Amino acid sequence: MQKRPRYGLYAIVALSVLISFFPIVWLILTSFKNTAGIYAWPPQYWPDPFTFENYVSIFTNSPELLRYILNSFIVGVGATAVTLLLGGMAAYALSRLGLRFAGVLMVAILAVSMFPPVSLLPSLFQNFLNFGLLNTYTGLVLAHAGLFLPFTVWMLASYFATLPVEIEEAARMDGMGFLRIFLTIVLPLSWPGFVATGLIVFIFSWNEFPLALVLMTQNAMRTAPVGISLYPGEYAFPWETISTATVLAIIPVLVITAIFQKQIVGGLTAGAGK
Amino acid sequence: MKFAMKGAVAVATALTLIAPLAAGAQELVMSIGSRGYGGMMERNIEAFEAANPGTSVEWLKVSDVPGDSRKLYVTGLTAKSPTPDVFAIDVIWAGEFAQRGWLEPLNNYLGKDAIAAYNPSFLSAATIDGTVFAAPLYVDGTHLFYRSDLLEKYGIAVPKTWEEVIAASKTVMEGEGNPQLYGFVSMWAKIEGLFMNWLSFTGGNGATFFDADGEVAVNSPESIAATQTMVDMIYKDRIVPDSILTMKPDDARTLFQQGRAVFLMVQDFVYAPLSAADSPVAGKFDFTRNPYFEGHPDAKSTAMGGWLLAVNANSENKEAAAKLVEYFTSYDAQLAAALDENRAPGRTDVYDAPEMADATLLKKLGDDYAVGVVRPSASTGNLYPRVSEVMQTEITNALHREKTVEQALNDAAAEINSILGK
Amino acid sequence: MNRTMNLEQRTALTGIGFVTPTVIVIALILIYPIIQSVVLSFGQSSIDGSEPYRFVGLRHYATLMGDGRFWNALAVTFTFTALSIPLELALGIGLALLMNESFRGKGLARLAVLFPWALPTALNALIWRWMYNSDYGLFNAVALQSGLADRPINFLGDTSLAMASMVVVAVWKTSSFMALIILAGLQSIPRDLFEAGRMDGMTKWQEFTQITLPLLKGPILVALIIRSMDALRTFELPFNLTDGGPVNATESLSLYAYKAIFDFLDFNFGAAVVVVQFLVIFAMSLIYVFALRNKD
Repeated sequence: MQKRPRYGLYAIVALSVLISFFPIVWLILTSFKNTAGIYAWPPQYWPDPFTFENYVSIFTNSPELLRYILNSFIVGVGATAVTLLLGGMAAYALSRLGLRFAGVLMVAILAVSMFPPVSLLPSLFQNFLNFGLLNTYTGLVLAHAGLFLPFTVWMLASYFATLPVEIEEAARMDGMGFLRIFLTIVLPLSWPGFVATGLIVFIFSWNEFPLALVLMTQNAMRTAPVGISLYPGEYAFPWETISTATVLAIIPVLVITAIFQKQIVGGLTAGAGK
Repeated sequence: MKFAMKGAVAVATALTLIAPLAAGAQELVMSIGSRGYGGMMERNIEAFEAANPGTSVEWLKVSDVPGDSRKLYVTGLTAKSPTPDVFAIDVIWAGEFAQRGWLEPLNNYLGKDAIAAYNPSFLSAATIDGTVFAAPLYVDGTHLFYRSDLLEKYGIAVPKTWEEVIAASKTVMEGEGNPQLYGFVSMWAKIEGLFMNWLSFTGGNGATFFDADGEVAVNSPESIAATQTMVDMIYKDRIVPDSILTMKPDDARTLFQQGRAVFLMVQDFVYAPLSAADSPVAGKFDFTRNPYFEGHPDAKSTAMGGWLLAVNANSENKEAAAKLVEYFTSYDAQLAAALDENRAPGRTDVYDAPEMADATLLKKLGDDYAVGVVRPSASTGNLYPRVSEVMQTEITNALHREKTVEQALNDAAAEINSILGK
Repeated sequence: MNRTMNLEQRTALTGIGFVTPTVIVIALILIYPIIQSVVLSFGQSSIDGSEPYRFVGLRHYATLMGDGRFWNALAVTFTFTALSIPLELALGIGLALLMNESFRGKGLARLAVLFPWALPTALNALIWRWMYNSDYGLFNAVALQSGLADRPINFLGDTSLAMASMVVVAVWKTSSFMALIILAGLQSIPRDLFEAGRMDGMTKWQEFTQITLPLLKGPILVALIIRSMDALRTFELPFNLTDGGPVNATESLSLYAYKAIFDFLDFNFGAAVVVVQFLVIFAMSLIYVFALRNKD
């Protein structure tokens, strides 16, 4: 072990941490200012007075904000569930069942994952309109599933590749069907992969913007990022409300990230390592 | 697959449980800007709900920046959203929205007498072949708000011309020595309000959008000179902050309200927040008609706007929605809006009410409307959104000095001629 | 004999059964819309089908090619990508090297790297828009109070600054993602390679250029691909930060396409825009995919 003074290293680390956190810190500080404090010049570096009034008034004056967050949860959970189930089955088949077209399909899936979401809008909007899927959770869950399935398939396939095949072979010798093997052996063995993938897909869905913007046109159905972005209830951006709403809307993803940082980092790097 | 189905069913069940949050028994959603109609919103809704038991009205606040709220309406209405049931539309969209089939005809809901009472020129914007698609709510316009205390301090008379505004700004800015104080602020972001401002400037110099022969005249010498003044106010006179190029009406209002500007040129609505008890400039400001250029005292320079109420053609509560429109545009409600909120009524009979004799503020606003200039929406009809977009783009090009004023306005004229098929 | 045949067939059938749902969803959500957009872009029709489809050939494409705003959007998109990706890569490598060291408080540092990634881009854009504000914003307060500027800097309203301001936001948010991927690559480099290098008297810099970088080629390529595809598709960043302004200085291809569709409600012309956008981006992605295959 070398014992050189590492002040330089710590200075760089401190600087990086500072740069990463300051926008969020500034946002949180803004949310504790009153209107006069927000528009004061020179700006208040520390809220004066320090007030919780924005957090109180957002619940009384802007109940739609809670609705946005609820919508984001429903869509996020729905999209994650559908994606993990369908993507898990597909990934298993593509990595384990020796399908002849597996390689081609994997590349095709990778290729479609690069489609620009905005390219899908004219058609999706029109089709969802005709099938009554606009402004429904089912519609956006389906859209998000389509958007995030390629990522899921690749991540889970790479995870399955790390599992030993012997157990499954033994089970097959015992005459178990593939569905049973998948459900009773593969799933329990690979839950860490599913957790990591699921968390990332949930965050993707929570943060997704263009499809949520266009497929949810009714105020009550908007997801948090879209709802807040379209929030200007006034001529200008009411920053007291926007900052507070943004704090509330990013808490879920930040908490998930903080708790599961190892899994997420593992998942992201494994998924990209292909 | 089975599991996918089950999952989908489970999700769907969860959704139906939550859905009722959105849909009530007889709940009307009314969408209108949060400032535009002032305190009348709460009062009218309360009174309407009291008179119509079992019907509740939810006020969906949207942006008062017309371009922003239009975007919301357009996607929603294209998607045949049943809500909002009732919504406020800018007079410049009325024809387009009606033609797209988004608005419910109101003839069968509103009485003939009610329709006859509406301001006819306003109503005509929302009438196609005798079918009325929206009811006039209020008229508004832009005015020049100024810090009366500061003008007084430096012994400056209320400016009538742009030359005086620029000189006054310089005097006050120099005298105060505060780098955070600007002379003039307004809504010069690339929005409809910018086009309205431009019409005020060019109108104040005797220019018109179309000339006497009906030809596009946005690049007339008067128009170019007035636009050049706007550019110079930013870069030469330096009485306008660079940030004006990203300001929407309320951004400018906020700056003025924080005591950081001498002049402000936006719509009526700012009067209420500026004079509110917690406003730092309450009692220290007043307003006058938009300035003109020297030698054009009769110029029309008040950029006019107006809002109507319409019923969504896909509303599930059309009957109740029409009733709500009727209530908002009724004689009593309009009179109250005029007296208490200074909203110029959308119906003519209110002006004859004896109480109106005391409505001095509204009178003063009305004096400014008398020198009003309207946007060319009637003459360009369905093509107006594109015409306005071209004007906003080219004025912005000039203000950013991406093009010379002359070049920008020549380009605008050429593009508009091609849009209009001339 | 018959039984093994059956088993093989069963395996194939199961495989197809397992893959089909995913393929259907992807086909419905990702592939069919592109095909439909191609059809739409060659015709004139109404959104709700009340007006029958009429073939108009290349008319919308001709309009598009003559639209200066389209070429501007294309240039904006490539400029944004070309400016942000190298910066992200440089910072990403730096951060990854940092994270590869062992020091106290590494958990916090990793969280700091992950936070920007997890933040919704749309909301992040709003936060920065607030900090960039020239009348009340944090950056201008610091610049003016410290004497770095004597006049408010209009970060988002100045045609020559808006793009740079947008790039800063993108770099802030996504360098960490680059770092994570490169870090994974770093950790897979066997330690003894460095020890051998040290025996040969290599300096830290030589170690980095001669050992680390060559071995990081794969992860760097992957990170570059993922990030540049994102940058080429960028939508919610300009949508929420600048709305494409000032004077379309930050109007990306995606934002232009969105506005073409929903501002003027012309789905046919909008479809032509997205088809061209799709072709541009897909061409780039094909180049990348082949680059990746050749890597192995």
